[in-house]
Amino acid sequence: MLCEECKVNEASYTLSVMVGEEVKTRHLCGDCMAKMNMNIASGNIKSLLSSILSAITGNDTPAEKAPEVVCPRCRTTLSQFTKTGHLGCPACYEAFHEQLQPMLLQIHGRVQHAGRKPLATEDAQRSRYRQEDLTRQMEQAIAVEDFETAAKIRDQLKALAEKEAEQ
Amino acid sequence: MSNPIVLSSRVRLARNYQDLPFDVANKSDAASMCVARTANALRLSGQDAGFQLLRLRDMEDVQRKALAEVHLISKDLLRNPYTAAVLLNEAAGVSIMMNEEDHLRIQAIARGMELQKAADECFRMDDALSRQVSFAYDEQLGYLTACPTNTGTGMRASLLLHLPMLTILKQMGSVGQIVAKVGLTIRGVYGEGSEALGNLYLVSNQVTLGRTEQELISAVTAVGHQLTDMEMALREKSLQNGRNALEDTIYRSWGIMQYARIMSQNEFFKHWSGVRLGAAMGMLPVKLATLDALLEQAQDANLQALTESAVTGRELDEKRAACIRAMLKE
Ligand SMILES: [Zn+2]
Ligand SMILES: [Zn+2]
Repeated sequence: MLCEECKVNEASYTLSVMVGEEVKTRHLCGDCMAKMNMNIASGNIKSLLSSILSAITGNDTPAEKAPEVVCPRCRTTLSQFTKTGHLGCPACYEAFHEQLQPMLLQIHGRVQHAGRKPLATEDAQRSRYRQEDLTRQMEQAIAVEDFETAAKIRDQLKALAEKEAEQ
Repeated sequence: MSNPIVLSSRVRLARNYQDLPFDVANKSDAASMCVARTANALRLSGQDAGFQLLRLRDMEDVQRKALAEVHLISKDLLRNPYTAAVLLNEAAGVSIMMNEEDHLRIQAIARGMELQKAADECFRMDDALSRQVSFAYDEQLGYLTACPTNTGTGMRASLLLHLPMLTILKQMGSVGQIVAKVGLTIRGVYGEGSEALGNLYLVSNQVTLGRTEQELISAVTAVGHQLTDMEMALREKSLQNGRNALEDTIYRSWGIMQYARIMSQNEFFKHWSGVRLGAAMGMLPVKLATLDALLEQAQDANLQALTESAVTGRELDEKRAACIRAMLKE
């Protein structure tokens, strides 16, 4: 079997990547496998990403054949991402989830974070205290059958929750 | 504090704001929001003592390059001279770079083999900031970064190593294999392509996702110890077989460094390496700390930053030779 990258040498390595549920494989010669490893080692993510992506989609220009995926927030397209190796915004991770999973697995060998987490921001804490406070007031209002006040507080709580969801 | 092999330890964390696009370097509104928000968050956190805000566009070119030479800012930061900025605590070796590849690069440097110390300093700043602002974070993928090679911890832990004997005896190829086997990389620090001026190398973690920060620090530290042992064994061995050749190299470099009147940067790197090797082996009467300081001060931009007018070429090489002589006399 010929190497699927250079189509010159005999393929002697198999590169496997996860695409959703299934494993896709590419057959490469020693030189091209080494190049792939060099790209990982030198952080040359651009050519690494495009070779992985073309392995996954089975052609060299995925954007032209497959329908374009666009990040709804920053409008970065999947083909822009594969060209530059850089995502447009945090929401791109969600938009390109399907393509990113195998890529992250290829780069890191794992796809579940195991490290530190951000601490709750003071704003988030304040908002939580405020919600707890309002909830208590609403319960008290209901207890004394002041449903008008309870409804007002419920609206305030709803607005707070919506604001939090936006962030 | 001074280590015969490990000059310094460096840790950096990549962080991004949830609501800003990644490539703010080309979007001046978002870029200035990033700077203002970060500076404000640092102030509110009460951890801002010793920090000064430097905008690259307000600095002289040599000042910016001088900071990059001593790794207080990255070379990549210099690529965004109009939007990039840094909150710098020079004495503590801590910098918070803004508008590089990611919104924030929190970095700490410590002398010698002190990765944990550098990491703790970064974590302290990270925690302080994260109480004030929201970083892009996902339960599955961890910290979200502009490039998927940094996703997860966003952490790069690196050691700056002086490996002259491994280089001279052409062992760096097998060193590369050892390092790659455990998911790390090694590369020359100064110079273009594959050359490693001064026989100085940076070893660092390659993967960032799926391991804890502690696991990554342990892996880099373990390889640091392993390379130290290999280099030390070769130094021992060459004292036994071929002492004359080794001493000749070291004393030639020592002579040139003490007496030369004109020295190019490349020649400086070469002889600095010989002298540091000699000093680490107890052959030369000069402190390692002096040589490590010299490595920073005798490079082009740091020399230029010291002089009033912009000296270049031959004149700069004369200044370098004078700086080296003065520092070695101390
Ligand atoms: Zn091939
Ligand atoms: Zn996006």
